Amino acid sequence: MDAMGGEERQVQVRFVTKLPEEYRVTNASFAVPARLTRYGLSEVINSLLSTEKLRPFDFLVGGELLRTSLESLLVSKKLSAETTLTIEYIPAVGLPKPVSSHVHDDWVSAINGTSPDVLVSGCYDGVARLWSSSGEALTSLQGHSDAITSTAVIPRASGSCDVITASKDRTLRVWQVKGTDSQPSGDLHQVLRGHSAAIQSVVASPSGNEVASGSWDTTIKVWSVSRDAEDGGSAPKRQRVEDSGAAPAGEQEAREARVTLEGHSQCVSAVDWSRADTIHSASWDHSVRTWDVQAAVNTSTITGSKVILALSVGGEGGALLATGGADPAIRIWDSRDSSSTGSAIQLLSHKGWITAVKWHKTRTHQLLSTSHDGTVKMWDVRSKVPLHTVQAHTVKALCVDWFQEATIVSGGADNQLRFHALDNP
Amino acid sequence: MARQGKRKAGDVREPSNGTTDPESSDEGDLLEGNASDDEGALSDGSEGGLVASSSEDEGALASEEEGSDPESDGEGESDEENEDGEIGEATEELAQAVQDYYLERDAREGEEAENGELVRGQEEVGVSGRGEEEERRGAGEERFGPHVDESDSSEDERPDRNTVGNVPLEWYKDEEHIGYTKHGKKIIKQKRKDELDKFLKQADDPKAWRTLYDEYNDEDIVLSKEEIAMIQRIRQGKIPHAEVNPHEPYVDWFEFEDKGQPLSGAPEPKRRFIPSKWEAKQVVKIVRAIRKGWISFDKKPEAPRVYLLWEDDFRTADKTANGLTYIPPPKPKLPGHEESYNPPLEYLPTEEELNSYDLMYEEDRPKYIPRKFDSLRQVPSYANFVKDKFERCLDLYLSPRIRKKRINIDPESLIPKLPKPKDLQPFPTTLYLEFLGHEGAVRTLATDPSGQWLASGSRDGTVRLWEVQTGRCRKVWSLNTPVKFLSWNPNPDRPLLAVVFGRSVLLMGSGTGNETQSEAAAGLVKLQETATGAADEGAVVRWQKSERAEGLEVVHKHDVAHVSWHHKGDYFASTSPDAVSTAVLVHQLGKQQTQNPFRKNHGRVQRVLFHPTRPFFFVATQTHVRVYNLAKQQLAKKLTAGVNQISSMAIHSGGDNLIIGSYDNKLTWFDMDLSTKPYRTLRYHDSSIEGVAFHRSYPLFASCSDDGSAHVFHGMVYSNLLENPLIVPVKILRGHKVVESEGVLDCAFHPTQPWLFTAGADKSIKLYCN
Repeated sequence: MDAMGGEERQVQVRFVTKLPEEYRVTNASFAVPARLTRYGLSEVINSLLSTEKLRPFDFLVGGELLRTSLESLLVSKKLSAETTLTIEYIPAVGLPKPVSSHVHDDWVSAINGTSPDVLVSGCYDGVARLWSSSGEALTSLQGHSDAITSTAVIPRASGSCDVITASKDRTLRVWQVKGTDSQPSGDLHQVLRGHSAAIQSVVASPSGNEVASGSWDTTIKVWSVSRDAEDGGSAPKRQRVEDSGAAPAGEQEAREARVTLEGHSQCVSAVDWSRADTIHSASWDHSVRTWDVQAAVNTSTITGSKVILALSVGGEGGALLATGGADPAIRIWDSRDSSSTGSAIQLLSHKGWITAVKWHKTRTHQLLSTSHDGTVKMWDVRSKVPLHTVQAHTVKALCVDWFQEATIVSGGADNQLRFHALDNP
Repeated sequence: MARQGKRKAGDVREPSNGTTDPESSDEGDLLEGNASDDEGALSDGSEGGLVASSSEDEGALASEEEGSDPESDGEGESDEENEDGEIGEATEELAQAVQDYYLERDAREGEEAENGELVRGQEEVGVSGRGEEEERRGAGEERFGPHVDESDSSEDERPDRNTVGNVPLEWYKDEEHIGYTKHGKKIIKQKRKDELDKFLKQADDPKAWRTLYDEYNDEDIVLSKEEIAMIQRIRQGKIPHAEVNPHEPYVDWFEFEDKGQPLSGAPEPKRRFIPSKWEAKQVVKIVRAIRKGWISFDKKPEAPRVYLLWEDDFRTADKTANGLTYIPPPKPKLPGHEESYNPPLEYLPTEEELNSYDLMYEEDRPKYIPRKFDSLRQVPSYANFVKDKFERCLDLYLSPRIRKKRINIDPESLIPKLPKPKDLQPFPTTLYLEFLGHEGAVRTLATDPSGQWLASGSRDGTVRLWEVQTGRCRKVWSLNTPVKFLSWNPNPDRPLLAVVFGRSVLLMGSGTGNETQSEAAAGLVKLQETATGAADEGAVVRWQKSERAEGLEVVHKHDVAHVSWHHKGDYFASTSPDAVSTAVLVHQLGKQQTQNPFRKNHGRVQRVLFHPTRPFFFVATQTHVRVYNLAKQQLAKKLTAGVNQISSMAIHSGGDNLIIGSYDNKLTWFDMDLSTKPYRTLRYHDSSIEGVAFHRSYPLFASCSDDGSAHVFHGMVYSNLLENPLIVPVKILRGHKVVESEGVLDCAFHPTQPWLFTAGADKSIKLYCN
C-alpha cells in the first residue's frame, strides 16, 4: 500500500473510550503508521487489550467516525502530522443479519415497532398485521377498504396497546389490542373520519392521548384517542358507519378531529410528534413545518427544494429532523437553528427516492433509511458514509422501523416484511 | 502728351489774351515758364515743388483734355466745346477753373495753419505770408468778384499772383519791387537775405529742405508731406495720387455681348412671347428619342489612355470576374551565378563535394551542380529541360488560386446569451420511477389535478391508474381496444377520465376522489334520457352506457383521435380527423348533449383545445391553428405553424402562448399577443414529435419524440407585455427505447412538481424528477 516501504509515516495517537474498565487501554500515546485504517486501529486496540475474542471497534476523531486512513484524515482536516491525535473508540455496530422474512398479500407500506411486544405492519391490501418479536404473525386487523399507509402504536397498560392505522380510504382506525404479551387480539375501537383525501401519515403523541394525521387534503388533523376522555363521557358526535360494512362490531363511534392544522399547500406526506406540544410535518410542497398543537399555529417552516416523503424527529436531544424525499439524499435539519435554511447534513448513498427514515429512540446517532432502490441503510450521523447497507428488498423498499432495540424491520413492494438483527448494537 | 496739351492750351489761350484780362492771359506763359524752369529748379535742390506743381498742372490739364475724370464733367464739356471751336467760352471756363484752384489752395493752407500742422519755422514764414495771402485773397476776391465758384478739380493748384506780367524776371533783378498791384502800386520785394542767413536758416529749419523760393511771386513755398510723397511717386514712375488705383476693375458700363448690335429701342416683337412651334417639334423629337432609348444619358466610361502593358504581373489585389482575389502564379526562381556557364570559382564544387553528392540520397542532392566551360559553344544541351518544365507546369497547376477568406469571428460570440440551465432549476433531470405493467406501447398518459394519480392508456387495450408516489398500479380497466388518448377532467371535484378508443369516447369515474366526488362522478356518467343520439338515429354521435367499463360512451361515426376538456370540466371536445364536417364535436357532460360547432373545417383537424381561462377554442389542422372566439362565434386568429403536419398542441396556463409539435420534428412556440407567426421554432428532435406539454405552474415545457427522447425547456412567460418569452433548452431526457421507430409517445407534467412523465413505445412510463 505504501510505496515508500520502510520509511512510512507515523502518527502519534492516544486512545480514549467511554467503555467500561475492561475495554480501556493505557492513556499513553502511541506512534502508529499513518496508513492505518479503522481495521488496523481495531487490531491495535485488540492487541493492546489482549483479549481472546477479537472485537471490532469504530473510531471517532473530532466527533466524526473514521472512515479513511489516518493519513488522508490528516490531509483532509489539514492537521499537522506532529500533533497527537486523540481517538475515541467505540464498539463497532455489528452487521445486520437477516433473521426472518414474511410474505404479505400485497406491498408492505407501514411498519411500527413502538411497542416492545408486537410489531405492527400495514399492507396495501388494507390489513394491519401484528407480529411477535420472534417473527410470528399474531393477528390481523381488517377493516380498511384501501391501502394502509401508516400506523401508530400507543402502548397502554400492560399487555395492551392501541393501534392506529391510516389508510388511503381517508379514515383512521383505532384498534384496541389486548394480550400483546401472549395472544393478542384486536378490536376496532374507533373510525376517525374527516380527511377528504387519502391519509399519508399518522403519529401518536408522546402522551398517548392524541394522534396526528397528515393527508393529501393538505391538512394535519389531531384526533383525541385517549381512553380516559372516552370514559369521561365527552359526547362525541355519532357518525354514520354504513359504508364500512366490513367493520367489526367493536367499532363504536367516530369522532371529529380536535384540531385541524392548515398551512401546507400540498399533500402532507409525513408527520412526527416528538415533544408534548410540537408536531413536525413534511409535505410535497417542499416544506417542513413545526406546529404548536395547543395554539394550533405553525411556529416555524423550513423550505427545501424537493418533495419530502419521510420525516423522523430524533437524534441528540430530539432536535434533529431527518427527511427523505423525491431525491436520493437524506437531509438532516437542526430544528434548534432557526436561522439556517439549508439542511445541516446531507447523506448521499441511496439511488432512489427515500421512502422512510427513522431515528433510533435511544442510540441517538443511529438512523435507518429505505429507498426505492430496495436497500435499508443504517447511518451513524457522525459519518457521511452509511454504517451498513442491506439489500433487503428486490424492488422498492417502502418502510422501515426499529423494533426491540436491535432489530430492523423493513417492508417493501416485494410484499416482504424482513427482520434484520444487529449482533452487537 | 502732357506737354502737347500744355502747348495746345497755351496756343489756345494765346489769342484770347487780348480779349480777357491780362492776368488770366498770362497763364500760357506761366505754364511755359514752369516747364522751362524744370531743369533749373531741379538743380536748385528744391525741384519737388516745381515738378509737383507742373505735374499737377499737367494732371489737371490732362484730365481736362481726356475728359475721363468723372469729377470734371463740366471741363469735359468744355473740351468738346473747344473742339467745336468755341474758343472764347473755353478760355472763360479755363480761367474759372484756375481761379477756383487758387481759391481752394488758399483755403486749404489756411486750414493747415489753423490746425497747427505746420511746424514752427513754417509758422514764422507763415506769419508774414499769411497776411499777404489774406491780402491777396481779398485782392483775388476783388479781382474775380462774383465769379468765385467752388470747383473740386483744382484743389492742389497754387495761387498764382503773377504781378510781373509777361516780362523776363531779369528786368526786375535790380528793382526794389516786383510787379504791381492792380492799383498800380509797386509790390516791394522781400528783403534779400544774405547767403549766410540762408545757410543758417537751412541748417536750423527742418523744413528747409522742402522750402522753395518762388521768384515770380517772391515767396517761400513749403511743400507739404503729401506733396513730397506725390513727388516721390512721380519719380518712381507711379501715378501721383496715392488714392488712385491704377488697376481698378474694368467696369463695362455698356454691355454689348448678347445684346445685339446695335442696341435697339424697338419694342419686343410678338413672336418672342409666342411658344415656338419649331422648338416644340424639336422637344417632341428628343422626348421620343429618349423614350425609345436612342439617346442615352449614361456616359461611356472613358478608356484610360495609358495603361500598363504588363498589367497581369502586378494584378494581385484586383477582383477577378468570379469575385475572387487574383493570385499570381508563383514565379520561377531566377538563375544565379552558379548557373553561369563560367561561374566564379567559389561556386564550383570541389572534387570531395562532388564525391559526397554521390553518396547523398537523390532528393538531398543539390538541384544543379555548377560546371565550368571555356565558352558558351561548349555548353551541352540541358538534360533536365523537360523535367524542369514539367515541374514548373506542375507547380502552376498545383499552386492555390483561390484565397480562402476565413471569417475571424469568435465562435463563442455567435452563441446567443442564454442563462445557464443550472440557474433555471428546478426542472426534471433524473429518472426516478418507472411504471411498469402495460403490455403494449403506452400511447397516452395524464395526471390527475391533485398530482396523486397518473392514468395511462396503452395499445394493449388497457387503461391503468397509477399511484405517483410509489409507482403502484392501482387499477386496470381493460377495454380490449387500443387506447388512443385519455384525459382527466380538470375539475378536481369530478374524478372522471375521458378515454378515447376506436370510435368512442369513454367517460368513467377514476375512483380516486372521496365519497361525494365519486358519487358525483357516478351520477354524471349515468345515461340520461335527454342524451344526444339516445332516441335519434341520425345524430352525429350516440351517448350510451358503456359495456366495457362502468361509464358512459360517446360513440362517433368515425374514429376519434383526441379529446380535450374545458377547464370547468363540463364541456369536452372530441376530434375525429376522418370525419369531414363533423371532425370537431363539442359535448356537454351535464346534459349529455353534443353539438357540431363547425359546418366546414379547413383541412384535416388534428387537435382541438379550449383556452384555459377565456372563451376561446383552438382548432389545429395540419398546418394552421384557428382560434375561435366562442362568445362572439367568429374566427379570432389564424396561426400559421410553418410545419407540415401538426401532431400535438399545448397551451400555456396564461393562455397567450401556444406550443405545437409536428411530425416534421419541429416544435413551434406562438406568442399570440405578438404575431400569428411562430415566435420560435425549435428543431431539436431527430424524429417526429409525438407530444408536447406545458407545466401548469413552473415555467417549463416539454416535447417528446419518436427518437426516444424528451426535451425539457425553460419557457418563461413574463407578465410584462414588452418582454418576450424566454426559451432555454435545459434537458434532454433519454431512457426510452425506440420500438419500431416509435419512441416516446406522450409526455405530461406533474401538476404541482417539476416532474415529467413520459410514455414510451417500450411499454414503460418513466418519471423524471428534479
